[in-house]
Amino acid sequence: MILEITSGEQEVLPGPRLFNMAKIKLKIDDREIEAEAGTTVLEAAKAVGIEIPHYCYHPGLSIDGNCRMCLVEIEKIPKPVISCHTRVAEGMVVKTQTENVKKMRNSVMEFLLINHPLDCPTCDQAGECRLQDYYMQYDRIASRFAEEKVHKNKMVDLGAGVMLDQERCIACSRCVRFCNEVSKTGELVLANRGDHVTITTFPGKKLSNPYAGNVVDICPVGALTSNEFRFKKRVWFLSKTESVCTGCSRGCAIEIHFEASKVYRLIPRFNPQVNSYWMCDEGRHGFHFVNENRILKPTKNGVEISASMAISYLAGEIKNLSPASLGIVAHATLSNEVLSILKELGTSLGTQVFFSRNEPHNPLSDHFLMTKDKNPNQMGINHMGFKPLSELTQGQSLIVINGLSKKDGELVTQKKAKVIALFSANESELSKNCSLVFPIPTFAEQNGHFTNGDGLVQAFKAAFKPRGESKEIGVYLHMLLAQLEDKKPRVAFGI
Amino acid sequence: MLFQFNAQNQKKFEELLSHYPTKVAALLPTLWLVQEQEGNISFEAMEVVANLLDVSPAHVYSVATFYTMYHLKPVGKHHLQVCRTLSCALMGSENLLEHFKNKLKINEGEVTPDGRFSLCAVECLASCGTAPAMMVNETYHENLNVQKVDQILKELK
Repeated sequence: MILEITSGEQEVLPGPRLFNMAKIKLKIDDREIEAEAGTTVLEAAKAVGIEIPHYCYHPGLSIDGNCRMCLVEIEKIPKPVISCHTRVAEGMVVKTQTENVKKMRNSVMEFLLINHPLDCPTCDQAGECRLQDYYMQYDRIASRFAEEKVHKNKMVDLGAGVMLDQERCIACSRCVRFCNEVSKTGELVLANRGDHVTITTFPGKKLSNPYAGNVVDICPVGALTSNEFRFKKRVWFLSKTESVCTGCSRGCAIEIHFEASKVYRLIPRFNPQVNSYWMCDEGRHGFHFVNENRILKPTKNGVEISASMAISYLAGEIKNLSPASLGIVAHATLSNEVLSILKELGTSLGTQVFFSRNEPHNPLSDHFLMTKDKNPNQMGINHMGFKPLSELTQGQSLIVINGLSKKDGELVTQKKAKVIALFSANESELSKNCSLVFPIPTFAEQNGHFTNGDGLVQAFKAAFKPRGESKEIGVYLHMLLAQLEDKKPRVAFGI
Repeated sequence: MLFQFNAQNQKKFEELLSHYPTKVAALLPTLWLVQEQEGNISFEAMEVVANLLDVSPAHVYSVATFYTMYHLKPVGKHHLQVCRTLSCALMGSENLLEHFKNKLKINEGEVTPDGRFSLCAVECLASCGTAPAMMVNETYHENLNVQKVDQILKELK
């Protein structure tokens, strides 16, 4: 079942994989290097740590060669060539640092900046902008442009939560190629020409595809920004943690961008085995439960109490119940680590472990990343051998971890089962009605692994400490087992 | 009403398709045909063309806006295109353009209220040897000056 353990961070050379895998020897900046046939000069250079600046080239898109920033000199070729579109050849001698190359970069930058508004102080891209970065690295020349800049629309709502500032656009066409090649919806095009060129949709139509958010990520400048993230946070205040999307069983590799226990955005992280460079909008916008509607303190009948008190109450209830009349309900959004702790708990208490799961909802699955199963770890549940809730016996008492779906909630009522304790990160109907409620961290606040729908196990890391007084399941259960005198903890939970 | 080729142009369009290996390759002449029939290319017509050629309407829009000789808005019966590139500019095309503006009381990109004339400045008409030059619809007029221009306007009904 489990194919391979990966955190999605292995270095894989981007670029086309051709049948001919022969190694080619070439020289870049006096370094002898080897590259696979079919690799471009830009990719070969990147693989050995030589960065060639570029705007329009993106490893996940077709090559367009319009920005001219990656011009390099190659011996025996009379004119400079764009390294993103030139394949390596035996004995090639590439120079990326000559005076001529530097001059060309200066000129390209000068052209790109001619009509650029220089509104960095109010631009969301500031801090992660290629124009800024390359200006500092390769240009640093004062503007000679004394004429009036071309003015365009600075706020075009393209749809799908994407805002366009036409003045900032450098017409690299990454977003156009994304819509043509990845989402295959073709909404975006370049209209008009020369310095009047703009990104646009067909008049009266909107950008509307479930992957539209990616165009914001790939925009090298501040032309495309996300309505959700706009003006919320300067990017240099954000910290980044590697994680895995919890939206569906695909398990796209993501980065959590956060500051002070608040998540500001999720962006995709390259993983060739799962999501390449992309993620869907549903997953991208699906982080608000980390910030909002959180349970922060343990409660008994709605009154805040300490965790140890709450655990004593729970231990008291458990002591009065026979193992057969008690049940544990895990959830398909829990990590493999938590699931194995629950399995261990079930074994030591001699009780059954059931599972609940998010029900499929629209939009369902598609040809690309989204799957029908809206749970990140159904495979983990299957691996543990937990039982579906339909096998519940009449009147069973349940300890529920991470909530019940609507359908499962109805099942519980139908079987007259009683939820005696709920461990959950977010408030819900159940948390309001349950007598004992324990706050637990979300995926953003703990380490763990999910097994995605294809059996791939991926690690996610804690971005920040659990919010409020929430504790990881392992901590609670350790306290619980210590209180159940005759049932000493049999395992050292990974706390 | 939705745009449709008339019977004659429908035949021309089908004939056009047979000239190219792919449908999308016929986009430029198809748009030209639309303009011939309608005088300009409306957004509606672009959507129809997109359907005919199996491309996205946005792609058609992109192409139609790139080329300045496609009219997205209606033009006058006589579309005056005055060259403003170097040779013509040196030979006084700026004055000609001003003269037109004053005489017809319209700006570049506008149509006279009676619909007879529309005015625009264009890039090089490849007639530098006989500058300044202009095109009225598809007819060249060369070695222009104010008197000649007035004469031409008078003759255009």
